[in-house]
Amino acid sequence: MTLMFGKAISYRSVWDFAADESVVESQRWILSTMQKYGQELVTMLWRILGNEQDVCDAYQETFLQLAHYEGGRKPEHLKAYVFRSANNIAISMLRRKIAERNRRSRPLTTTSVSSPAREIDSKYLQETLRSYIAQLPEHLRNVITLRDLAELPYSQISRILGISAATARVYRCKAIQLLSVWMGKEE
Amino acid sequence: MRIMKLNNRCRRIRTWLYAAMNRRFGPEASWLHNHIMYCPRCQRRLVSCGKVNLALSFMKSQPLALDLLMRANTQAIAVLKHSLRREPKAQKLERKLPEPKLLERCSHYGHSVVNLAACILILFLMKIGVFSSMGNLQTQGQKVIKQYYVKQVGGDLADEIFAKDTELPSSADFDNIANA
Repeated sequence: MTLMFGKAISYRSVWDFAADESVVESQRWILSTMQKYGQELVTMLWRILGNEQDVCDAYQETFLQLAHYEGGRKPEHLKAYVFRSANNIAISMLRRKIAERNRRSRPLTTTSVSSPAREIDSKYLQETLRSYIAQLPEHLRNVITLRDLAELPYSQISRILGISAATARVYRCKAIQLLSVWMGKEE
Repeated sequence: MRIMKLNNRCRRIRTWLYAAMNRRFGPEASWLHNHIMYCPRCQRRLVSCGKVNLALSFMKSQPLALDLLMRANTQAIAVLKHSLRREPKAQKLERKLPEPKLLERCSHYGHSVVNLAACILILFLMKIGVFSSMGNLQTQGQKVIKQYYVKQVGGDLADEIFAKDTELPSSADFDNIANA
């Protein structure tokens, strides 16, 4: 009986070991992805969020989503998937933060008092722009974050978003126009 | 092959067209400056556009902590499967620091590369005989000047002046020339 029990345990551990090995084999690409795009992702997230802890959280969430994508399957367009999910996660976090800040105090746009010193205050300008980027329509926002914050070339952006490079340029131009109108109203 | 050529040509023309359009209608165009000087609405628009660009530059220039990538990797790896966490690659990622891009790394060697290229160019010019041609040109030039002097001041004085190729004529010689 003891012998049988012992055998059962050893079979189980062998099975676990084999399962572990297969998981490692099948999901090793996650680590490679982290190695390949990690730096660019962190830079982009830092520029969108501007807070170290938020960057770490968004980065973690991105890779958690990637690991659970269709039961651990590798997405066909890996870079596109990673960048788009990181972008979406960061924007959701940013929106939550803005909403929370607005709940606690009056919104940033209404509290602003125009003065030359305030207008060139880097922190204030960044926060304002972040809040407006979060309000942009998705197609414009994706282009502005990938082009201006992740500093990817238009050719890559077009592949990530599934649009042509010319369309990406037009979207960026529209996004800048919209942002400048909103920033102009700020005064 | 033909399509590739056509694409390259198309791309080249597009670049030129873009540059030409930018010169004519870009923010540096003089007619635009003249208009903006007298149009308060356009002034406001330009200011707000500048504000967006300024804010974007601020966002881009904000330095990020050197260990942020390391911390982010550590936090992300902590939620992956146990077997993945034990991988040597995962441990390497947990200690990874940001690395400069290849172009940034190469930019340090830019001056050396330019110097090397200049040396190679000089060697090449020597090889194809540009410098010897220049020497010939100098000799011919001297001959022409000597002939001019011979005509103007006489052969004896010209011979004296051009006795040695590199030696400059003394002030006495100049006096002689002036007297002559």
